[in-house]
Amino acid sequence: MKAKISALMDGELDGREAAGALEALRAEGEVRESWRTYHLISDAMRDTHPLSAGFSARVATRLAGEPTVLAPKWGFNSRPLLEQRRWQVLSAAASVAAIGFVSLSFFSQEPSVPAQPLAAGAAAPQAESAQVAPPAAANDYLLAHQAYSPRISLQGVAPYVRTVSSERRGSRQ
Amino acid sequence: MLRILGLALAFCGAWQAQAQSPVPAQAPADAMSLLRRIYEATENLSYSGTFVYHQGERTETSRIDRIAGPGGNVERLEILDGMPREIVRTRDTVRCYLPESQTVKVERRIDARAFPGMLPEHISELARNYSISRGERLRIAGYDCDAVVLTPKDDLRYGYKLWADVNSGMLLKARTFNRKGEVVEQFTFAQLTIGKVPRERVRTKHAAQNWRVEDAAVAPANLARAGWSIGAELPGFRKVTEVTRRLGEARPVGQMVYSDGMVAVSVFIEPLTGRSEAVRPGLSSLGAFHIYTREVANHVVTVVGEAPAASVQRLANQVEYRRPQ
Repeated sequence: MKAKISALMDGELDGREAAGALEALRAEGEVRESWRTYHLISDAMRDTHPLSAGFSARVATRLAGEPTVLAPKWGFNSRPLLEQRRWQVLSAAASVAAIGFVSLSFFSQEPSVPAQPLAAGAAAPQAESAQVAPPAAANDYLLAHQAYSPRISLQGVAPYVRTVSSERRGSRQ
Repeated sequence: MLRILGLALAFCGAWQAQAQSPVPAQAPADAMSLLRRIYEATENLSYSGTFVYHQGERTETSRIDRIAGPGGNVERLEILDGMPREIVRTRDTVRCYLPESQTVKVERRIDARAFPGMLPEHISELARNYSISRGERLRIAGYDCDAVVLTPKDDLRYGYKLWADVNSGMLLKARTFNRKGEVVEQFTFAQLTIGKVPRERVRTKHAAQNWRVEDAAVAPANLARAGWSIGAELPGFRKVTEVTRRLGEARPVGQMVYSDGMVAVSVFIEPLTGRSEAVRPGLSSLGAFHIYTREVANHVVTVVGEAPAASVQRLANQVEYRRPQ
């Protein structure tokens, strides 16, 4: 089962096998412990700071003590909501193509947004946000970003040392 | 070593306190001219050397070679510690060689904007966001160096201290520090030779014919036409470029880059559909870099910047989608 958990983390299991592995993970015990251990190893290899022992237990305890927040529900008869769920080919995609830019599959799908977008500046409040592990593609983001950094004209290629320093060994083989 | 670090931090702290006293709107001319000399040296010098990069507990040594010349500038960076990797940068291409995975990541410039860098005529604009002053002289890797200090005028950026060779203007040491004066990251040359560099030193060591090539396929874009906008831009930052590109193996993404002349913050926008890994909304830190991820209108918005968490998060929270008319 441990090998299965490892394969699950790497996304190598098909639907049925993955379902089986996830079922095994539901129960506390050795399998769940392996899952945590593998993630710790993975975090360590990626040079991210692992959470301290018992972190998830402490979070669960704190959460249990928090008052329940009642979030407003979207009404069934909210027509704009239904409309926005309909995926349409976006006219913008056509105009983007028309002016000779590379066609982008993702801009050809209309994102679902509230019919009345938030006014400028009324975006999500800046709460203290959760610290998470860097995205799996962190190095790709850094590499893509680095080319446009003014540090290049100050230090030449040297800042690129920061770009791909922690790519997991063998992760792309 | 700890004592030296302690001294360095204490110094930064003292210097920070000093910097909080009223500063003139105009930076001293000699500090600006040193900054200008650093940019010119970076553009015009050929050199070979070894430098050390410090960030948190991480210390990495790298070899760097650069040829400046009429045929175009070529630079090669080889990281000597940890996972082997090499970066070769020419006037219009950056190639990143990863021998362990036999992969070359290629980024080509699409026009003059693509690697905007820093134009000398824009250096004076830095004084809008930073107080610029001279630091004390220091000897580094056998070179006498003058120092210039950039103290941020707000919490949206880090501070910098740069040491450059008195004679050539070559940057020998660069330190990034936060508002508390703590060192966030540091580059220091351990050995440096300025002058002619043999051509083979800037060629890749790898015969990479059979390696997988990941071409970023960068193309100009207008993300606003597709409905994407930034509600309120970061004070002191302006948009320097806007492209579409591939990230890693295949994913097409939109990228907008904002810069204050010293650092840049990139906004990546990619569709949720077809992503192989789960989205982890929140903030992560990688040395001087912060990465903030959130979902907007069925897309993942990832903001990456060599700036404090507050800047990266603030810009990310301003990303909006409006249906194009």
